[in-house]
Amino acid sequence: MNRRDLLINFANRRAPVQRPDTPYRVGRFSNGVLLTHENKQVKFYDDLIHGRQAVINFMYANCTGACPLITEKLVQVHRALKDRMGKDLFMYSLTLYPEQDDPAALKKFATMHGALLPGWTFLTGDPYDLETIRYRLFRENHIKFDLDKGFHAAQLRIINDATNHWAHVSPNVSLETILQHISWLDPPKSIEEIREENKILQEKIDADIKLHGYRRTV
Amino acid sequence: MPKKRKKSKKDNSNITRRDMLKGAGAAGAAAVMGPIMLTSRKSFAFQDPVPTTGTAPVAEPVSCDFGVVSPPTRPFIDTLPIPATATRTTLFPRPTQNANIGGGEAARAPHQRWGEFLPEAEYSIQGRPSTHRFHSDYLPTYIWGWNGGYPGPTIRNNYGDPVIVRFKNDLPDNSPHFGLNEITVHLHNGHTASESDGFAGDFFATGLFKDNHYVNAYAGIDTFGTTAGVRGDPREAMHTFWYHDHRAAFTFNNNQLGLNGMYILYDRTDPGHENATAGSLRLPGIYGVTDIPLELSEHRFCATDPARGRTEQVLDFGDKWTVNGKIQPKFSVRRRKYRFRILNTGPTKIFNLQLVAPNGRQAPWTIVAVDANFLHEPWELSNGNLPIFVASRYDIIVDFRQFPVGSKVYLREDEPQNVGVPTPDPASGLPIENVLMRFDVVGETINGDTPPIPNTLVELPPLPTPTDCFQWRFTLEFPKLRPDAEFEAFLVNELEFDKNRVDWVVLKGSCEEWELKNDVIASDWVHPVHIHFEEGRVTERTIRRDVGLPTERRVRQTLKPDEDFRNARRDVYPLPEENAVKLRLQFRDFSGRYLIHCHNMGHEDGFMMVRWDVVNTRSELDARRRDIFDFRRSKGLPIVPCGQNRT
Repeated sequence: MNRRDLLINFANRRAPVQRPDTPYRVGRFSNGVLLTHENKQVKFYDDLIHGRQAVINFMYANCTGACPLITEKLVQVHRALKDRMGKDLFMYSLTLYPEQDDPAALKKFATMHGALLPGWTFLTGDPYDLETIRYRLFRENHIKFDLDKGFHAAQLRIINDATNHWAHVSPNVSLETILQHISWLDPPKSIEEIREENKILQEKIDADIKLHGYRRTV
Repeated sequence: MPKKRKKSKKDNSNITRRDMLKGAGAAGAAAVMGPIMLTSRKSFAFQDPVPTTGTAPVAEPVSCDFGVVSPPTRPFIDTLPIPATATRTTLFPRPTQNANIGGGEAARAPHQRWGEFLPEAEYSIQGRPSTHRFHSDYLPTYIWGWNGGYPGPTIRNNYGDPVIVRFKNDLPDNSPHFGLNEITVHLHNGHTASESDGFAGDFFATGLFKDNHYVNAYAGIDTFGTTAGVRGDPREAMHTFWYHDHRAAFTFNNNQLGLNGMYILYDRTDPGHENATAGSLRLPGIYGVTDIPLELSEHRFCATDPARGRTEQVLDFGDKWTVNGKIQPKFSVRRRKYRFRILNTGPTKIFNLQLVAPNGRQAPWTIVAVDANFLHEPWELSNGNLPIFVASRYDIIVDFRQFPVGSKVYLREDEPQNVGVPTPDPASGLPIENVLMRFDVVGETINGDTPPIPNTLVELPPLPTPTDCFQWRFTLEFPKLRPDAEFEAFLVNELEFDKNRVDWVVLKGSCEEWELKNDVIASDWVHPVHIHFEEGRVTERTIRRDVGLPTERRVRQTLKPDEDFRNARRDVYPLPEENAVKLRLQFRDFSGRYLIHCHNMGHEDGFMMVRWDVVNTRSELDARRRDIFDFRRSKGLPIVPCGQNRT
């Protein structure tokens, strides 16, 4: 088999991603009923996660430390990926303090930060449900840290339920790095797309070497 | 069933190895989140909150999830497999200095020193899906293996023969399995140019290949001449390496799926045979016969599914320990000396090994190399465990003449595994759960024996003189120095890992004294910190608090201080809590991007990792350091306490 045939085979080999049975996945997330900032009831797994790629974080409306900065970063992420937002990529911001954050408070927070954007949902609900989701998504619940909500995990959780992959990224790193991490979980690409991206990457590397003397920023 | 899972589920006062993994294993292919502290054997604490109200169901039991108990296996059924030697090939398209994008190669910087080290041998290693039988009592298990095998083929070469290894990504392009089908291959711990070093961010997708150029020269190419046909300082020789996937955030997953293999280099001192040749130490040296790789790992399996004909593995800490991919294998030996190249391929487990004689007593063995580097003098260990951290390599010599023909000798692992088949203790005081594998002394030697191990193995290079210093401080904390920091994460010098940001630069050809400092709070875990590129020498260890770390303490007690602190060249530095080590490192011959990271792959994937660069010129160095200082000032971060006045 020559190389060209091999590549064609790769291209033909692609099959639709199979969605595994729901119960298996629900156990990894939670199907708790939550309320959106539009006061709409949604089931967390069935309505928000199933088959989707999403970026998830925890925040609370009157948080003055990390949340506004992280939200600002997420707005930049949204801007960069706006063509995909709400179509095959979603953002979910869940409240840490559902007792004090009703849908109206979340909507106010979103408006204030310019985060009332398509594909981005703020969520509140029963404290137990949110706690369950937080524990399951951010399983870094070392007893000494994570039970204290003041030390909540401000990491961004990136999931792609269709391909069954999870990743994470710190919101403090550069926008470019966050976008790269999100792209790590993009749906599978065709070999043509892979080769095209590879070609572009090589051009960037060459330019970087020309500029910096070695591959430094790509 | 291991004891650690028997405690009450309500006892969530202890984080466990298992809980950590839930981060890693969640939804099949997660990356472990930041703060992951592993304590070795405590309770299994289910981490959902206690139900009070709400609509969320408790996690439904699924057919195979973390914490499943592996099906039983009978001990000593399978023979220890020896990974085959990788065969040389002629690559098409031909390897090139610049990436052959049109031919399907992954993007990369051009090979450094290509003209000086034109490849004399070529290998083609594909990462592809396959099945592997971990035990005869199991049906085949789906794996990703180098050339479909687990462990992958052993690549064996001589120093002085540069090679190209073409790593081809033939992983499925649409896998719901827990691996991620992008790879970047690191040769641990080759003296390798950055573009061939498997930088965590340099992964490439299915359908592409990448040529890694291994010059197989000793470090010090620029400053030393040629010795017996090999460039560089022969005292920098290393012999046992490990090639494995280093994909950022998915290293745990892809390695547990099987992307592991050994890489051996021979030279005059260690020629790969036992004949009396000039300069040879004449250690047992016939690969697969008297020179045996032992690649250790941990795995966990779902119940066998006869309908599908599979015993699948689950992404998790293991409850089965494997040697060369087999559970509790046996290996026939004759009454003579053998060399075992022990490599812990992780993902997270520390092995604590000793040899147990048929009477249940510990039998002596002799350690000749640590992290692939020969010790100055052989170290006989007859009392206490040998701790093998993830990625550590120990070459040991066992003289089976101490046992009569017919003896059964055991490799004992301190942490019991799940066997599941009631079995009497194979030796007095040795539960079957603690047996990693068995050696059967089947007869007298038929091919002679090697002479006694020399009293002096090698001369070590002199301790280099540093021209600068730097401190790497590992923390898991809520950085108080930043207004936006309200959370904990793995930090190195107050910053999270960003593969696009460089946190320290060094000048090619220079030597620096680096301090690795473990300030990860509330951790009783030893972080095996790995530095890519060159071997280091520990000059000083500071123990601010002696936390209960029997393994590390034993290392300190057993090694003569001289060996622990001055002589053993290493690339994995075990770093218990509140310990700091100072080490001297040189940065010779190549430039580019390199890494320091914890080699517990859960931590590595949680980005207990940092990037540093080697640059070519002093002006470049000064400019880059100014960038780093400016960046830190702009973030309100302290300038590192060492090295700040140098630019």
